[in-house]
Amino acid sequence: MENTIKVERAILSLTQDDLAKKIGVSRQTINSIEANRYVPSTVLALKLSVLFNKPVNEFFKLSADD
Amino acid sequence: MEIKKFAECERRGINRLMNFRLPHYFYKIGMALVAASILMFFVRAFVIEGETETLRMIFKKVLLIGLLLMSIARDKEEDELITKLRMQSYTYAFIIGVLYALIMPYIDLGVSNLVHGGGEVYKDLGDFQVLMFMLFIQLFSFITLKRTR
Repeated sequence: MENTIKVERAILSLTQDDLAKKIGVSRQTINSIEANRYVPSTVLALKLSVLFNKPVNEFFKLSADD
Repeated sequence: MEIKKFAECERRGINRLMNFRLPHYFYKIGMALVAASILMFFVRAFVIEGETETLRMIFKKVLLIGLLLMSIARDKEEDELITKLRMQSYTYAFIIGVLYALIMPYIDLGVSNLVHGGGEVYKDLGDFQVLMFMLFIQLFSFITLKRTR
């Protein structure tokens, strides 16, 4: 799974910490998601979707090995 | 209908049990208990004289309770990633614990035969040794996983 959370976050001028607070997780979790080390749950993905005002599949994409 | 209700009730119970965590301050209480029991082990060994077997047993229980409190206390920032890492750490602790219980008695036997020149008999590990090892592995792997997340 690949994602463009970093880009979406930059568009909204949010730091990792700001984004983490908005969706109720730790900054390290945002960092892990951005680095593709952790695939978030559907709930978290939908929270991001509401925040970015975009469908989930616009910022989460399946990679070749998925 | 009744079976469905029962299954639903059971599922809710299991979920509640799986999500059960003590407040974060229990982590510190656990640490204090662990530190105190380790300190008391030394005090018992070097300061207290006479029959101390009961004390030793009590300190062992206190050490296990302390480690358990540390293990099930909520993290400062408990989120879904932390929950996943915690589950992973329990998996590691379980697997390594079983391997330890299987292999360690033979290593013990080999080493004591080498040291004492043979004649030693096979002895299984005690419950305290296995439980303490598993709790240590769980805490250690959880901290390591958290650091490298």
